[in-house]
Amino acid sequence: MSIDKKEVLRYLGHKNQDIDEELDGLIDSCIKEVEETSKPLYTYKVFDTDSTTENEIKVLGTNLVLKGKDIYKHLKDAKKCAIMAATLGIVIDNKIRVTGKRDMTRSIILDSCATEMIEKVCDKVEAEIIELAKAENFKTNFRYSPGYGDLPIDIQGEVVSILNANKAIGLTTTDSSILIPRKSVTAIVGFLEQDAKVNKRKNCGTCNLRKTCNFRREGGGCGN
Amino acid sequence: MAISELKEGKFLLFDGAMGTMLQKAGLKTGELPETYNITHPEVLTQIHREYVEAGCDVITTNTFQANELKLVDCEYSVEEIIEAAVKLAKNAGPKYVALDIGPLGQLMEPMGTVSFEKAYDVFKRQVIAGAKAGADMVLIETISDIYEAKAAVLAVKENSDLPVLCTLTYQEDGRTFVGTDPLTGTIVLDGLGVDAHGVNCSLGPKELKPIVDEILKYAKAPVMIQPNAGLPQIRDGETVYDISPEEFTEFLELIAKGGALVFGGCCGTTPEFIRHIRAMLDKITPVKTSPKVMTAATSGSKTVIFDDVTTVIGEKINPTGKKKLKEALRTDNLDYIIGEAIDQHTAGADMLDINVGLPELDEPEMIKKVIKEVQGVVNLPLQVDSSDIDAIEAGVRIYNGKPMINSVNGKKESMDKLFPIVKKYGALILGLALDETGIPETAEGRLEIARKIVNTAMSYGIPREDVLIDCLVLTASAQQAQVKETLKAIRLVKQELGVKTVLGVSNVSFGLPNRELINSNFLAAAFGAGLDAPIINPMSKPMMDTVNSFRVINNEDKDSEYFIANYSNAETNQVPDNVSDADRTLKDIIIQGRKEESAPKTIEMLKTVTPMVVVNEHFIPALDIVGDRFESGKIFLPQLIQSAEAVKKAFVIIKDYLDKSGEKEASKGKIVVATVQGDIHDIGKNIVSMLLENYGFDVIDLGKDVPIQTVVDTVKDKDVKLVGLSALMTTTVTSMGQTIKALRDENLDCKVMVGGAVLNEEYTDMVNADFFAKDARESVKIANKFFGISE
Repeated sequence: MSIDKKEVLRYLGHKNQDIDEELDGLIDSCIKEVEETSKPLYTYKVFDTDSTTENEIKVLGTNLVLKGKDIYKHLKDAKKCAIMAATLGIVIDNKIRVTGKRDMTRSIILDSCATEMIEKVCDKVEAEIIELAKAENFKTNFRYSPGYGDLPIDIQGEVVSILNANKAIGLTTTDSSILIPRKSVTAIVGFLEQDAKVNKRKNCGTCNLRKTCNFRREGGGCGN
Repeated sequence: MAISELKEGKFLLFDGAMGTMLQKAGLKTGELPETYNITHPEVLTQIHREYVEAGCDVITTNTFQANELKLVDCEYSVEEIIEAAVKLAKNAGPKYVALDIGPLGQLMEPMGTVSFEKAYDVFKRQVIAGAKAGADMVLIETISDIYEAKAAVLAVKENSDLPVLCTLTYQEDGRTFVGTDPLTGTIVLDGLGVDAHGVNCSLGPKELKPIVDEILKYAKAPVMIQPNAGLPQIRDGETVYDISPEEFTEFLELIAKGGALVFGGCCGTTPEFIRHIRAMLDKITPVKTSPKVMTAATSGSKTVIFDDVTTVIGEKINPTGKKKLKEALRTDNLDYIIGEAIDQHTAGADMLDINVGLPELDEPEMIKKVIKEVQGVVNLPLQVDSSDIDAIEAGVRIYNGKPMINSVNGKKESMDKLFPIVKKYGALILGLALDETGIPETAEGRLEIARKIVNTAMSYGIPREDVLIDCLVLTASAQQAQVKETLKAIRLVKQELGVKTVLGVSNVSFGLPNRELINSNFLAAAFGAGLDAPIINPMSKPMMDTVNSFRVINNEDKDSEYFIANYSNAETNQVPDNVSDADRTLKDIIIQGRKEESAPKTIEMLKTVTPMVVVNEHFIPALDIVGDRFESGKIFLPQLIQSAEAVKKAFVIIKDYLDKSGEKEASKGKIVVATVQGDIHDIGKNIVSMLLENYGFDVIDLGKDVPIQTVVDTVKDKDVKLVGLSALMTTTVTSMGQTIKALRDENLDCKVMVGGAVLNEEYTDMVNADFFAKDARESVKIANKFFGISE
């Protein structure tokens, strides 16, 4: 799995500024370090869904109910959904934290590399899920994470629990529903009939950071 | 009560999976299985009976997640769930019932937010409930963090008389999720005196075998294994395990023949598996292992074996004679101490000594704080060094791994106090060759005291190999004839007692010129006498040169690999390639973010100009230019940070200069900075902190996940007028509001600026803050304006 340098630069807020050789080399070395020290792990399960109640998606076989207009829109036409979790592991967290004590420049670059890396891991998991859906003659929509739109972030604990992700990939949540290791993602992908309309992927309108996001301020989206 | 099988080295068989069985009985995915103890007791009774009928000795209670963190939203209490669970297990009529304790489900500090003390309290509640309900033993299992295991084991030992077993869960790379390796896990758990330990979950028996083999080489306690029914695989979106009971048992048989004694099954196993294992165990006899005898200290993820390498113990974190460290301890400047730890690590130390003894400090509290910080940034084993017994116990308790204690001596009082602590926490102990009569003049006299220390330690159940001896160095300038006796004593102690030796080397040269010359030669002589672990300054080149050359001579540095890599280019390395370019001004250096050049340039400038000139004519104008360039998009974040770091490094020089000249630094104002409670995102906050410091503000950085009360107390105690709070998530903005409310409720005369990804003007009003800082640059502007400093 390889990190896309352009994406790293974007996370760092780069917009055509000159980058000297030294900084360029530093970024390359951070990319290498993150690629080498990440321990990507992931897991997912597929569930039937029930969307008969307005603004509520019941994940069948579990007690999880996804509440909110946005997730309802995401899954109301879906028959099933895949719930996934992916992480780079705790080693990279430690690396970023400890590096920051002595070299903050390197630490923030490592952080951006890791953000890009976990996206790449998620892409891979999503590809696997798409294959699975195809085999059952479904098409999929985009990966939707807790905290997007009005889907509350405090379902993280339950998501981790139904995926058994603590045992399986070492994922935990804090009391305030932050995933640790930090470079981790949970997401929900809808399985839709071939003739269903698929919502457009990734737009700022459904993001709850939309009012303050730097990427949005300058036009364009963040890619999520 | 004792479990006779464990005492007598017989096989002991646990049951198999519970979750797998409950799901078959209708448990929903993700539902708390523990509620079934109360809502569906008949299901539990049935499962337990099936396992007893299959032939297991021990039934594990259905309490894996029955801790207060996991049960937070559950309608039943920890006590209700555990009491019901133990009763159900007993009803099935097994030989023994084990109270099951799984991981917290949250990570411990500094990776996560759970403190060691909190973890202990959570486990304690489970233990008390389980013991009261009548469990026969406690099984702590599926643990990834050896630190968490330590909290749990102590909770069992201090709150019950029950035997305790503990298994860690390893991944295919041979480490746990948080990085503990089997050797480290084994040494720590043996040290804590658990009744059996080993591995469970994550992998099948085939994949776990090499890990168990490694554990069997070292483990003194019986070794336990509860594998999954094969490697978990995702098939059609479901996790499945796919090896047969027969194949599973074949691997367990191999493992049993290697010396493991305690068995059972984890995820995916069923009564059928247990039946097969029972039949297998009934046919074979237990094998006695001969664990390797060695002297080893560990951190949470690294083991140092004294038998294998000359171990350098870094001496720098000890305030004796160190003005800067004293100051750092007095002002709670943990960053300075962390820096000393990282630098010693980088310089090649294998262990670090931690001594924070200053008469005016609460030493137990301080040593806890420092150990927590240091073990969070370096993975070297630590030596807990104090003359205060309470500080020693506080330090080894909070320590993650098997530490060394520095030190006990031959006085009866010292041994009576220290050995129980050494035994309880499984530490290494360093014994000083002195007693009530002082330091003997002869080597033979010191040997006798060493012998007394070793024998007394052993009478407390401390293994001989866990005792190390310091034969003590006297200064050559005062007691020259004694120096040779130290070397002789090392030889004698090694020969007669067979224990490892440690020596605080630098003392020898006290009062002489060119101390490093004497020290490094004495070190070489001590190595010749058999010294295993010098306590030295690893930043001293002559000392490390002696160590590195000895490692070649002593056949430790195989093929001289390290030596060649580090000394081939010694000549060229002598000329630093980052000497500051005379043509470049400090201002340019900062603007260009040349952070390696800023300190040397500052030193050079201070020869001719005052610190004020450096700050006002270089730091501030440069930072302003960089800030403007950042704002207008001419540079981007890493470039801004590089410049800020250049100033930070230069500031260290300024501070040193002021300290030496006795001048006071003019603070522009005191600012408290914190990431609010519940939030752990601190990159942005750290950048703000650094920039404010760059501009000469006195920043009190409280860190992340900061309790509301800590913010209030700091503002009150230190009379702070400006507070900067950061929150990155909508959920933690609430906590930000509560923090500000608490400050207002106390009627504290301070203003609050807020920032963080989700913050905006609207939220700023909502949380009742005074200023919104959209980025670090903005926070500087706010602070300047607030303290009436014109830009």
